[in-house]
Amino acid sequence: MSVPTAVAVNLIGTVEHPEFGGSPFAVAMDGSPYLPVGDAGIVLGVQLGDLVFGLEGDHVAPGATLTHPDQAARHALTSFACLGNEVRVRTGGAAGATGRVLGKRGEAGRVIVVFEPDVLATLAPGDAIQVRGFGQGSSCPPELAAAGAVVLNCDPAMLDRLQVRLGERASFPVRAVVPSKLVGNGLGRPAQQWDLDLAVTVGNAERWSMAQLRFGDLIAITDLDVRHNAGYRHGWTTVGVTVHGASRLPGHGPGVMPVFCGPSELVDVRPDAADHRGVTSDRLWS
Amino acid sequence: MRPRTNADRLITQTLAGEVWPPLADRHAYRVDADGQPFLLPGMGGVTLGVHLGDPATGYAADHLEPGLSVRHAQPGPNLALQYLSCVGNTVTVRSGPAAGATGVVIGQHAYVLVDMADEAMREVCTGDQVVVTARGQGLRLLDHPDVVVKNLDPELAGRMPLQTCPDGRLEVRVAARVPAAAVGAGAGMVSEFANTDLMGAYAGQGEDLSLGLERLRIGDLVLLEDQDHRYGRGFHEGYLSIGVISTGHCRLFGHGPGPSSILSGPASAFAIVDDESANLAHYLLEGEPAR
Repeated sequence: MSVPTAVAVNLIGTVEHPEFGGSPFAVAMDGSPYLPVGDAGIVLGVQLGDLVFGLEGDHVAPGATLTHPDQAARHALTSFACLGNEVRVRTGGAAGATGRVLGKRGEAGRVIVVFEPDVLATLAPGDAIQVRGFGQGSSCPPELAAAGAVVLNCDPAMLDRLQVRLGERASFPVRAVVPSKLVGNGLGRPAQQWDLDLAVTVGNAERWSMAQLRFGDLIAITDLDVRHNAGYRHGWTTVGVTVHGASRLPGHGPGVMPVFCGPSELVDVRPDAADHRGVTSDRLWS
Repeated sequence: MRPRTNADRLITQTLAGEVWPPLADRHAYRVDADGQPFLLPGMGGVTLGVHLGDPATGYAADHLEPGLSVRHAQPGPNLALQYLSCVGNTVTVRSGPAAGATGVVIGQHAYVLVDMADEAMREVCTGDQVVVTARGQGLRLLDHPDVVVKNLDPELAGRMPLQTCPDGRLEVRVAARVPAAAVGAGAGMVSEFANTDLMGAYAGQGEDLSLGLERLRIGDLVLLEDQDHRYGRGFHEGYLSIGVISTGHCRLFGHGPGPSSILSGPASAFAIVDDESANLAHYLLEGEPAR
């Protein structure tokens, strides 16, 4: 059987502005109110490789978050933008600058893009960003594909740079391996449009070997199948990239965008709680 | 000893809603855990033949909502209807040939779900107006300050076999214990809206999808392990939540029969008793006159 050729598409997104409802407060798991800072929009001073639990923000992403005013187009933008895709600023003070897609978030759909700090500082909400969407539909090697394994949300060129090996088996370096019961928001949702929030906080990060969790880290989740919505399936492993930071909301936390799912018996994970290196700027731009 | 409550201080409000039609899109099919497309009824409208005490799974249905599925046409009033309606509240049909018929709220699922006798329900159709006599939010168990109560009619609370133990814990009877790995869609949402879809209950599908929850019944009281639903829904070791199964069979993956949350707090505040008969049908229907 011939392997179909993945195709690239040019998409447009606009840099979003943070939004609030009628109250400035969100309610934390313990019932205390807090004001969520850094949830969406342009976040300065946070970069790939920074410690996730070194910030006071809520759902902080290390860059700018894109949206689209038309909901159907927004879903498409979110669906087709993949880790590592090139983006180019089309309007505003940073016009012409390039960046890369880090990941995506759920609900109505949002794409997280990263830039060099001087470019990010020049961006403003409303700036138009072109995204070269490429990766959905790309395939696993035949041995893995025959077992049902899939690659998703990932420009194929990124896998080598992350020292991922796909052949008869799959092998991933990761910060930690966690059970699916930690997953909150994102369950029952399409993983091609949605990340998985982990119930990991500054208070329990050590217990889950994630005290050193950094933006861009790879995480493996056991007994989770994300091929047709995210859900519990014994004996399947999902690997994803940490695309946003922690939250005090129950059922929310660091967000992992899946890039691979397959039978656990064919997946080797190489956890390194201290020295793991995931998606970094040099790996995105190499 | 029966736990003391603040029921005498609670407010009752009359809320309006209408029976909302089932919704579809032009793509028709959805896809199950195994990638199989399906097109099945269950969500929205008037769903006949499934009531409190009946099996939750085993139907050719998706997101099975027993009885009437009710919402308000305007977004703000709809949130009020969803947040303030409580399990056990009385619902009265106000228009159409079934006007005057009554039912009972069994939970929320982005709709308020209403069980009523099939004889009356056969006359109800989408668009029919109903009122919910909403009472219960703000209910507290005065001797159990660590336990948050929500979505629970105080009269129903009084009929449930809740007990204050000599050691101060709250005794609750449950028909099933649900591991945290079963929690699916609904995690991360506020616990006064919709419910917590449970995975591992895909009757008729693969063993690798099962968490032994295929025997749940509509109305079962269930224990959700390591779930904190006091101010939302999330995994929290050492906490637990109690819910009432208000929805049934799902094919959509990551979804499933769902409990509406009624009690949540630290596990140390509860004394859990396993009791297969712990079902709303016994507390709402047997030997009790309709209000």
